[in-house]
Amino acid sequence: MMHGRTLSAVGSQVPPLGEETSTEPTEQQLLAQARQRAALAGEITTELAGSLNLRRTILRLFDLVRPELADWVMLAMADSRAGRLALHGGANPTFTTSVELDVTEELGLGRVLRSGHSELLHVAVDEAAPDGLDSMIPDTGLRDEATALRPADVLGLALTARGSTIGVLVLVRGAGRGFPQEDVDLAEQIAGRAAMALDSARLYEDRTRVASVLQASLRPPALPRVPGLRLSARFRAAAEHLDIGGDFYDVHGAGDDWLLALGDVCGKGVEAAVLTGRARQSIRTAAHFDRSPAAVLSALNSVLYDEDSDKFVTVVCTRVRPAADGRSAEVTLAVAGHPSPLLLRADGSIEQVEVSGTVAGVLPEVSYREVRVDLAAGDTLVMFTDGIYEARGEDGFYGMDRLLALLPNYAGAGPEAVCEALEQDVVEYLGGRAHDDMALFAVACGR
Amino acid sequence: MTDVLDSVARYDGALASVDVDTAVAVVERLLDDGADPVSVLVEVIAAAQRTVGERWQRGEWTVAEEHAATAVSVSATEAVARYVRRTPATRGRVVVACAEREWHALPAMIIGTALRADGWDTTLLGASTPPVRLSQYLHDLGPDATAVSCSVLGALATTRRFIEASTAAGIPVVVGGSAFGRDGLRARALGATAWAPSAREASGIVAGLPTVVPSVPPLSGAAPAEQAAMELAHHRLVGELREHWSLAAQIVTTAQSPLDSVQVIARDVVNQAVHAVWAALLTGDPRTLTETSAWVEELLRARGVDVGLVAELGSLMARSLHEFPLARDLVEHHWAGGTVRTGTTGTTAR
Repeated sequence: MMHGRTLSAVGSQVPPLGEETSTEPTEQQLLAQARQRAALAGEITTELAGSLNLRRTILRLFDLVRPELADWVMLAMADSRAGRLALHGGANPTFTTSVELDVTEELGLGRVLRSGHSELLHVAVDEAAPDGLDSMIPDTGLRDEATALRPADVLGLALTARGSTIGVLVLVRGAGRGFPQEDVDLAEQIAGRAAMALDSARLYEDRTRVASVLQASLRPPALPRVPGLRLSARFRAAAEHLDIGGDFYDVHGAGDDWLLALGDVCGKGVEAAVLTGRARQSIRTAAHFDRSPAAVLSALNSVLYDEDSDKFVTVVCTRVRPAADGRSAEVTLAVAGHPSPLLLRADGSIEQVEVSGTVAGVLPEVSYREVRVDLAAGDTLVMFTDGIYEARGEDGFYGMDRLLALLPNYAGAGPEAVCEALEQDVVEYLGGRAHDDMALFAVACGR
Repeated sequence: MTDVLDSVARYDGALASVDVDTAVAVVERLLDDGADPVSVLVEVIAAAQRTVGERWQRGEWTVAEEHAATAVSVSATEAVARYVRRTPATRGRVVVACAEREWHALPAMIIGTALRADGWDTTLLGASTPPVRLSQYLHDLGPDATAVSCSVLGALATTRRFIEASTAAGIPVVVGGSAFGRDGLRARALGATAWAPSAREASGIVAGLPTVVPSVPPLSGAAPAEQAAMELAHHRLVGELREHWSLAAQIVTTAQSPLDSVQVIARDVVNQAVHAVWAALLTGDPRTLTETSAWVEELLRARGVDVGLVAELGSLMARSLHEFPLARDLVEHHWAGGTVRTGTTGTTAR
C-alpha cells in the first residue's frame, strides 16, 4: 500500500493539539503547533475543493480532521425537505444513518442548527449527561462510541454556507485533550471552509440526481441478445463527459423480426440529445405498428414535421429477419438523408447499399424507398454516422477511403470486432482532437 | 476435474472457430455446475485469451482472427457478468476504466466482473476513456475506489492522468494489467494507491484500500518533462523511424497494405518502441525497453525477418532522440540488451 499523510512528520515531534502536558510547552513546541494549525487549515481548503461528490467530500473531511483536530467526528446534515437529519461518521467514517429532524429540535444539535452558533460542552466520566453527549449525538450506537472517550469535550460546530446553516460538525476530544481557545478558533475556521465545500457538493448532488434521471433515458440502450443475430454498436459523444449527444441507435422487435435504427439529429449537446429522445420514441411507436423501414421513416417524418419545423433528423432503418438456422438473414432498409450502410461480405468485398431518401422532419409528407439485401454467413452490415468519416486528424478528414480500406481486414470477424477496430482506428486518427458525435451499429447473422 | 479440463478444451475450440454460442454455453454450464465465477474468468476466459495474443505474436493468426476471438471472449465474460449480477451487490462501489490509448477493454471487463462476483458494485467505462469522462463519473457516483486496467505501455501516461483525477477527489486507485510488469514498481512511480498483480487478487486489494487518499503530487523532474516533450513530438519521431527503419520503410506512400503485412506490423512496432521509451521515462523502469525489444524480436523471428533489425531500430531511435538525452541514454543501455550504439545501423543483436 502506498499511502502517506503529509502531516505525520509534524505530528511526530509535537504533542497532539490540545493535549495536556506535564510541563509547560516549550516555545518551539508552541511554534510547531501554530504551524500545524496553519497547515491543517490550508490543507483542508485545498483538499476539500477536489471533489464535488457529497459522500467523497464528507469522507475527506473526516480524514483531514481526524486525529489532528479530534479523536471522534460526526457530521449531521439537515435535509429539510425530507424532514430528516443525516448522521455520518463516528468510529467508521463510511457509516451513515438518519433521524427525524423534529427529534433534535430541543437538543444542543438542534440549537446549533437553528442559531448557527457553535457550542462547547464538557462531559465528565460520571455524568449522566442529559445535556452532554445525548444533546449532540442523537443515535445510540454513535453515542456509545463517544461515551467511551469520557471525560470528553464536545464541540458542535455550525456549518454555515451561503446564509444557511446546513449541518453540524461534532468533534469529540477524549481524556486529557480539551479544546483550548486556539483550537476552537481553528475548528471554527475549518468549519467555515468545510461548510462551503459541503454545500457545493450538496447542490451538485441535487443537480446530478435530476440530470442522471433525464440522462438515463437519452443514453444509448444496452443491446438485446437476439437469437440468430450478432449486434454491436458504439457511441462517442462530442461532449466526451456527457455520454449523450445527437447520434443515436436503437433496436426494436421480437422473435425473428427486428428493426435496427441509427440516426443523427441536427444540433449538438444536450438540446440535440433531447431531440434524439423524441426521434427514438417516435421510431419505437411507429415500429410497434409496422416494422417496415419505409413506414417507420414516413411516420417519423410526419411526427417531427408536425412538432417543430426547424428540427430534422437523418436515419437509417434496417429490418432484419434471421433465418431459423442462423446462417442467413433477410434485410430490408430505408434511409432518410443518412449515409447508406456498407455491406462487408465474408470474402472482404464491400458494397455500399444503393438507397437514398429525404431527411426526416423537413417536408410534410415523404414516402421512402426500401431496398432488400441478403446477409449470408460471415457478412456484416455496418451503419455509421457522418461523425466517423468527418473525424479530423493530422491529415484532414478520416474519410470514406480509410473506412473502405480498413473494413476488408475484418471480413468474417463479426460485428463486435468490426466496431472495435473501426472505433479504435478513428479515435487514434483524431489524435486527441475534438470530434463530432460518432455512432456505429453493425449486424451479422449467427451467434 | 476432467470436466473442467474438457470445458477449457471446448472453450479454446470455440474461440478458434469464432463460435460464440459454444463459448457462452461452456461458461454457463460451468457456472450452473457451481464453478467459482472468478475461476471461470481467470482460468478459462483470461487463460484462453492469453493464447489468442500468443497466436498473433507467432504469426499464426491474423489481426482479424485475433479480434474475432476476443469478441467471443467478451460475450463469454458478459455471460459471467449476467450470472454474478443475480446476486445483489453488498460492498462498496468501484469504477473500472481504461485510460486513453488503451483499447483492450476485455481485461477491464474481466476485473469488473471479478469484483462484481465478490459483491462490489461496479461501473465499467469501456476502452480509451478521456480523463474528463472519468472525472464526471467520479463526481456523480462518489465511488470507494477506481480500478484502472492498462495493457499497453503507451497508455501509462494517460493512466497517470486517471490517477491524478481520482486522487484529487480523494478516491484511492488500484492499477493492474500487463503494462505494469511483474511487480509494483511502475504503479508506485505513477502514484497509484495499490497494484493488483492479477484479477484474482483485485477484490482483496480493493477491500484493503484506505478510505481517502491525498492528491498525488505532480510528477516533477527531467524525465517526466522529457516524456511530455516526446509526446508532443510523437508524429515526427515515428515518422522518421518509419522512414528509415528497413522493415517499415518499404511503405512510404499512403497506399493501403493488408493489416497483417510485415510492413504494417513494422509501423505498429515503431509506435510500441517509442511508447516503451515514454514508459521508462515516466516510471524509471528501463525494463519496458528490454521487454519491448524482446517482444519485437519474437515478432520478427516468427515472421522470418532478420532479428538484426531490432538493433537497427534501437540505433535509429537513439539517433532520432538527440534532443532527448535521458531517452537516448535509456535506449542505448536497455534496448536489445544494451547493444545499441548511436550512429551504427544494421548491426546484429545476437
